[in-house]
Amino acid sequence: MPSPALTSEIKALLVSELNLSGRDPATIADDAPLFGEGGLGLDSLDALQIAMLVEERFAVRVPEGDEARPIFRSVSTLAEFIERSKSS
Amino acid sequence: MTIVVTGVGAVTALGGTARTTFERIALGERGLRELSLFDPGEVRSKVVAEVVDLAMPSDPSVSRTSELALLAAREAIADAKLDVRSRRVGLVLGGTTAGMFETESILATLLSTEARRGGPADPRREAALSRMLSHPLSAPTDRLVKELGPFARARSLSSACSSGANALAVAATWLELGVVDAVLCGAADSLCRVIVSGFSALGALDPNGARPFDARRRGLTLGEGAGMLVLERSADAARESVVCTLLGWGARSEAHHITNPEATGAAPLAAMAAALERAGLAPSDIDYVNAHGTGTPLNDPMEARALARLFSDDVGRVPVSSQKGMIGHTLAAAGAIEAVITALAIERGIVPPTAGLEEVDPECAHLRHVTSAESRPIGAAISSSFGFGGMDAALVFGHRERVAPVSRKRRGIVVTGMSVVTPGGIVEGTSVADVPASLAQGAAVVIPDGALDAEKARRLDRTSRIGAIACGRALGPVAPGVGVVLGVAFGAVDATAEFMRRLRDKGPRMVRPAEFPSLVPSSPAGYVSIYLGLDGPALVVADLAVSGECAVLQACELIAAGDVDRMCAGAVEERSAIVEEVLSVVFASGGATSRREGGAVVALAAADAGVPALARLGDIVSFANGSSDGVMAGLPPPPEEGGIVVLGTEHAEELVLASSWSTCPRIVCAGACGEHEAAGSVAIAVAAAKVARGDAKAALFVGSSRGWGYAGTVWPPDPAP
Repeated sequence: MPSPALTSEIKALLVSELNLSGRDPATIADDAPLFGEGGLGLDSLDALQIAMLVEERFAVRVPEGDEARPIFRSVSTLAEFIERSKSS
Repeated sequence: MTIVVTGVGAVTALGGTARTTFERIALGERGLRELSLFDPGEVRSKVVAEVVDLAMPSDPSVSRTSELALLAAREAIADAKLDVRSRRVGLVLGGTTAGMFETESILATLLSTEARRGGPADPRREAALSRMLSHPLSAPTDRLVKELGPFARARSLSSACSSGANALAVAATWLELGVVDAVLCGAADSLCRVIVSGFSALGALDPNGARPFDARRRGLTLGEGAGMLVLERSADAARESVVCTLLGWGARSEAHHITNPEATGAAPLAAMAAALERAGLAPSDIDYVNAHGTGTPLNDPMEARALARLFSDDVGRVPVSSQKGMIGHTLAAAGAIEAVITALAIERGIVPPTAGLEEVDPECAHLRHVTSAESRPIGAAISSSFGFGGMDAALVFGHRERVAPVSRKRRGIVVTGMSVVTPGGIVEGTSVADVPASLAQGAAVVIPDGALDAEKARRLDRTSRIGAIACGRALGPVAPGVGVVLGVAFGAVDATAEFMRRLRDKGPRMVRPAEFPSLVPSSPAGYVSIYLGLDGPALVVADLAVSGECAVLQACELIAAGDVDRMCAGAVEERSAIVEEVLSVVFASGGATSRREGGAVVALAAADAGVPALARLGDIVSFANGSSDGVMAGLPPPPEEGGIVVLGTEHAEELVLASSWSTCPRIVCAGACGEHEAAGSVAIAVAAAKVARGDAKAALFVGSSRGWGYAGTVWPPDPAP
């Protein structure tokens, strides 16, 4: 399980940087899908924006293409990727 | 009436003239190389199609884009043996970057002297600010007017990467409507840091150079250049200068996403079908398609699907190619340069090839690709262009012997709704007539909670938000086929400065990909079409302080010529600390100017479209480059009583005095809506609302700026038959 502090930080970042105004970061579930139906409904342009933000804030580079897919599944997977990259 | 191409000009990475470019394309040459114009930093690809030997004049107010446009324009004029001064000649220029390359160094100076803002005058800062007027979309047009004019009318437009195609479509409507005898039209764009880092941030650049329709393609290659053409009515053209005919044109919007194409290609298909219908041709008449073919993973299969649906079983017959692996994607200029290539392909009977295509993508395998030039007669050809925001356009060219079907009848225009957005509030319908009685409160527009759907609007920048509110309220319920024209004088200057700040401080990997599209001048029209679901033509036009009048005229032309039944048109302007500082330096007004923000939109329809009318619009007259003599005489006189004059600002008073409306009561809107470049659109909305409500029997609106101007009249609607 990724640290709750990190997942909270990611949620706040998503809401402010993707301009999800009206959305309370606390209501985003750790494992809710970021893309497509039934989740945050983000798209590929958001993915690029998130990759840039993660690199800026956490100094880790998100891989591109198929490798990025599992990382971008949810807030949890994104947090796990950041923790994994930081510790390696 | 048949429209003919009588002159072509182009500057590309492959050559300084149209014919050199075409000949090198026919040989399969690629003009790609490492970027040398500036150091782009850590971007996904430094491979570009740059015009390396461009000699710039020493005048620091001249932009690279305008120089490219001027060279291509001179070539096209010489090719057509056109005497601009002896006939009524129009100019239509499309663009996206305009003076961006120069603006980048100006903004760098502004950022480095930021601490001194508001303090004692700083000569370096003032010099930089005074050069900012090379930045707007209208600046390259202004330069061409100055160097080559005077022109009977001139227009600056943007629909992102379909700007060049739309410039030709607008030029064609001018010839159809009979307002000019010849048009110089096309588009130009130069490479710049914002564009290279922006496309890099979008992951849209192929490090190996663009490979359209190839299975291994990874993106586009940016290019720069200009394409210009001279169009005339065939009856007026010298036979020996005819290159080919322009038979049809069509524009549609995807209303889908700011950067990603809608996967089925419905809007490109509709644009091509509309262009064919206008040309009086069937898909079976088409012998060549000059594809948009960018080489991005999403564009090419989408385009292949649209072509499969257009040609159905015949798709394997029609040769298709894209030159973007040779001359790069020249953005706005692409549609114009590709129009030149298509025209020369028809003239010479040579199908130009696609470069970089080795392994055809299975999703594009049903197309008949051309990888080396083929000699074969071309009776008619399509050139397609698709832009950011889903603004799609298609042109149909024919062999010089091929004539167009009978022209469409010119249609009257009615106003069906209006909305004004001011710092004092948002007003719609005939209540807009009351706007001049109020006084602007504060400088900024307050967007109330709930005025926009927060989730749908999350990517919209401020100009687009104001535009979406004004268009939505003027239109009411959205019907299929509605288009939008927005006048935007300066565009997102402060957002561009912010983007540049990140680029300077953190490098190209750290610019915000989602904010890049807002820096493209056509974005407000794109975002409005996406937000409201408008699938008709979408354009931004720019004409500094008369951008609102320009937008309404542009919409009227498209309706009158039969391209579209319904449009919303007007202007929007956002507050900008930089623009305000520029204006105070340029006009030596000292300190902060009174510039505010806001805008207005009128909903327009063809008089025969069956939409309930609030008022009827008379013909709008216009002039460019100071030649206002006799223009006002082209307006109908006011009624014996009850005529009023509505102005955005007081600048147009002189023109009113030169008209038969000089004794009518005058209303100036700037005090109520705030002083900004969109004030003229407020005047038009107020004029229409006053007539619609019966406050006036007729109204004249007039706007003028730097020797350009527009005037038109509003009348009660014709009684229902």
